Amino acid sequence: QNIQYGNSKKYNLAGVSVSGNTSFNEQTIVAYSGLRKGKEIMIPGEDVANAIKKLWNSKLFSDIEIFIKNIEGNNVFLEIQLSDLPQLNELKITGVKKGKKEGIINDNKLKKGTKVTENLITTTKNFLIKKYRKQGFYNAKVNINTIEVKDSLDKARVNMVVAVDKGQKVKIKDIVFDGRSALKAKHLRKAMKSTKKINRLRVYKRSKFIDSAYQADLSALIDKYAENGYRDARIISDSISVNGDKTISIHLKLEEGTLYKFGKIDFIGNTVYTDRQLNRYLRIKEGDTYNGVLLQERIADNSKPDADDITNLYQNHGYLFSTINPVEVSAENNVIDMEIRISEGKPAYFDNVTVSGNDKTNDHVIYREMRTRPGQLYSKSNVVRTIRELGQLGFFDAQELTPDIKNPNPNEGTVDVEYTVKETGSSQIELQGGYGGGGFIGTLGLSFNNFAIKDIFKKNAYKPIPMGDGQKLALRLQASRFFQTYSFSFSEPWLGGKRPVQFSTSISHTKQFLFDPITRGADRDQSFNITGITLGLAKRLTVPDDYFTLSQALSFQLYDLNNYNTGLFTFGNGSSRNLSYTIGLSRNNTRIDPIFPTGGSNFNVTAKLSVPYSLFDGVDYEALNNERREKQQIIDNFRLNSNPTVAETKEFNEASTRRSEIDQERFKWLEFYKINFKGDWYTEIIKNLVLKPTVEFGFLGAYNNARGEIPFERFFLGGDGLGNFALDGRQVIALRGYPNQSLSSRDGGTIYNKFSLELRYPITLEASAKIFALTFLEGGASYDNFRDYNPFNLQRSAGVGVRIFMPAFGLLGIDFGHGFDPVPGDAEKSGWQTHFIIGQQF
Amino acid sequence: CVLSSCSQFQKAMKSEDIAFKFKTGDSLYKLGKFEKANRLFAQVVPKYKGKPQAEKLMYLYSKSFFEMKDYYVSGYQFERFVSSYPRSEKKEEASFLSAKSYYMLSPIYSKDQTETKEAIEKLQEFLNVFPESQYASEANTLIKELDYKLEKKAFEIAKQYNHISDFQASIKSFDNFIYGFPGSSLRESALFYRFDSAYKLAINSVEYKKKARLEQAKEYYTTFKQAYSNSEFVETADVMATELDKELETYSAKS
Repeated sequence: QNIQYGNSKKYNLAGVSVSGNTSFNEQTIVAYSGLRKGKEIMIPGEDVANAIKKLWNSKLFSDIEIFIKNIEGNNVFLEIQLSDLPQLNELKITGVKKGKKEGIINDNKLKKGTKVTENLITTTKNFLIKKYRKQGFYNAKVNINTIEVKDSLDKARVNMVVAVDKGQKVKIKDIVFDGRSALKAKHLRKAMKSTKKINRLRVYKRSKFIDSAYQADLSALIDKYAENGYRDARIISDSISVNGDKTISIHLKLEEGTLYKFGKIDFIGNTVYTDRQLNRYLRIKEGDTYNGVLLQERIADNSKPDADDITNLYQNHGYLFSTINPVEVSAENNVIDMEIRISEGKPAYFDNVTVSGNDKTNDHVIYREMRTRPGQLYSKSNVVRTIRELGQLGFFDAQELTPDIKNPNPNEGTVDVEYTVKETGSSQIELQGGYGGGGFIGTLGLSFNNFAIKDIFKKNAYKPIPMGDGQKLALRLQASRFFQTYSFSFSEPWLGGKRPVQFSTSISHTKQFLFDPITRGADRDQSFNITGITLGLAKRLTVPDDYFTLSQALSFQLYDLNNYNTGLFTFGNGSSRNLSYTIGLSRNNTRIDPIFPTGGSNFNVTAKLSVPYSLFDGVDYEALNNERREKQQIIDNFRLNSNPTVAETKEFNEASTRRSEIDQERFKWLEFYKINFKGDWYTEIIKNLVLKPTVEFGFLGAYNNARGEIPFERFFLGGDGLGNFALDGRQVIALRGYPNQSLSSRDGGTIYNKFSLELRYPITLEASAKIFALTFLEGGASYDNFRDYNPFNLQRSAGVGVRIFMPAFGLLGIDFGHGFDPVPGDAEKSGWQTHFIIGQQF
Repeated sequence: CVLSSCSQFQKAMKSEDIAFKFKTGDSLYKLGKFEKANRLFAQVVPKYKGKPQAEKLMYLYSKSFFEMKDYYVSGYQFERFVSSYPRSEKKEEASFLSAKSYYMLSPIYSKDQTETKEAIEKLQEFLNVFPESQYASEANTLIKELDYKLEKKAFEIAKQYNHISDFQASIKSFDNFIYGFPGSSLRESALFYRFDSAYKLAINSVEYKKKARLEQAKEYYTTFKQAYSNSEFVETADVMATELDKELETYSAKS
């Protein structure tokens, strides 16, 4: 029936019937169509059209048509003819590896029972072609066929065959530029970041052709011209020709246009800064080649938040509401005059500065560290620095610290800022037992990094321990049959809460027994006790800049030997005292995450000094030294003598006793000075890949050469750098690729240096676990005295490793290092060594 | 624990009979054994869904969390109770306990106050719905206590700026405090410490800003003195004010 729209007529719908190939109930279809019996409808009219639309939208049918079956006076009978869409029965994919099929099925939702529409077939086909083209299979072909299943079931079903022919990967043989004269072809090809010519030497980027990337590269090409003053440059045509050998060539026809230059650049609206000051940031002169990209960068560099651009100049000095717009005023004779229109606005001051999310840490610990305070001039760089320094505290997840600039009010000139922090676990518990040193060793270590000592007697502060004042408290107990170590340390970063003066103290006691061969246990009568106490103050400085810290410490150690005869000391009964003063200067501006810094540097110089007793104690050390040398001679001679007489034995015993007395005199109060230097730099080379060079140096000297260098406080180089149980205040320095402490002589070196280059890449920086991989090159050496010192004669090594930081365990790691040089005394190179790292040494 | 009640609990835990579980839970609850009762309730809650006994069960279940000091859950469960049974006779008590659960979660003033603000909101909502409630006076007391926490927080931050000698930040923060908490009991101290900060800033000022700062400090002194002439700080303030006058004289003499 052909019925014109113009003369549509109202009918009473007297009946609807359904025909066609469908397994659905007739009433269901009629009800769904909305064509209710008894309804008044217009024919032709919207009702029928809507019914078709509804059925179509159900995505269950195809070939939907509605006919007038019969008209009886005012009554009309309609018939809906349709057929069910087939369901997908079996799917076969050819030309693709088995493992990839699952992905294709999921990406396109090709499950059994899916209704197969034309749309599904087309989108699947397009999806696959696009996918392979993206991978460089420019000639990929996809063919989809459906075959009807004929069996006893009524439902219409089809089997689908997806035939994929990826074809060969297409590479680009050549890129030809037509009409190019101003820029070198090499530079243009470089500007095309993703579309590259074949070059077997280039491994990081293979030559392939992806249309979307190609289009982006074409506009990059135009940008390249624009950067060089050719701002009218355009591509007239681009074509691709397919070569016989699975490669294509790209032909680009260019029109370079003419070279533009900067004309006069005027600043308009600047009152705070003079034109001269602004020009210092702009650094573009009249007559320079026009470069829109550079101009934009100098005004606001979006790639670097802390760039030296004009926007930051304003933003860092309170002008939050400033806007800066460059406007072209004339372009005559290819010379472009610019006006940089500045709307400075009112300077903004911080109004409310708040912190949220501190469920554990008390306000005062956070607010005192902030660089943005109420009433201060707004400064973007201070906001950035506050984030950095809150991250450095170690109480919060550095990756999730965010500043919210709120309620900017240009009329009042105020702005609020809220810092949202997320607390991290900052307590560590170490409980371990193991065999070592001839028996069971048990260790209990507790360290609380955000302790609150004032709450220690408050019962309800124990959730599970009093926290939130930013104090550090550590306790460590270690015991075996032969030794016991107890240590306690505490530090408060703001002593008195008035100034950032850190107070720290530590007390330790160690008791060591000798092995008793009879009981095969510890001999309690032969012991060696070390008791030490240290008090320190560290003050943040503001001059030369406020990243500096000056620290001072006073420490005292008492070494008490009780019938303890070993090779270590010449006297078995006696004592030695070490009273020293340490002064250190450090500068640390490493950025954001203390576990994985991505920028900044860290320097540390310390000097540890004892009192120069020999200046005033009236002892003639020269004479003592000579006498000791004599006695030593006697002892050495006696040892070579295989058949000593009684007199000789007596003389030896006397000499031996006297030598002990002299040594006791020399080491009664340890006299020395020690200098240490260490510097680390962190540089982000490309996104997240961080290079860290390190330089270290240490020197231990004596004020009085006759009194000599002490056998304490010495440097032991090599290995993982973990401070093992040691009696003598030794300083253990890591050098991977060599056994622990193997690079120093038995008594330890008095001078050392170390150079290291480490490359780090993070695997994950989640708060729950931070993991990064590293590779290193390092070299170092330790010497017994200054005469042997040669900074170029190093033991070198290289290797790889990984570090894992979890808040509850601290830093753990493993390194594999290869030592290229032999350990002193060996002939062969050190070779591969495995190091386990616990705690933050590197 | 009493032997019989323990074994009763174990029997109920293993039983398939939900009515028995509910009954045992109810009697354990009455005995004050909230944790055990809670475990039994948790088992039967899904099974009573939509049944008439569910109302009593949900009330007891929510209350057992409250008694167990699991206030996060009790706050949420009471809230759900109120919305599920809007005609319950326990609605008033449940609304109050929901709000009180949030009150219980509010930490010490020097930590994040998200829960405090939430508790104030919930208690206020409760008072709006049930202004005549028997819990109204308690709710008011709780709100006052929570309000004081927020005041104390702002006050202590402003005072800390004074303590670490950032007087400008201190003045600004006290300004905000005085404006933001007009009826606060800490207002007297705030006015004094604002003056104290301004005084210290003025006395130690660089020369070219000194006169303006002295005058500013003097102004703060006047405000303080007018409002609290009987304050315990008055004597100290008077001494400081005399000092300011002396300094100011040198300027008037010069000009």
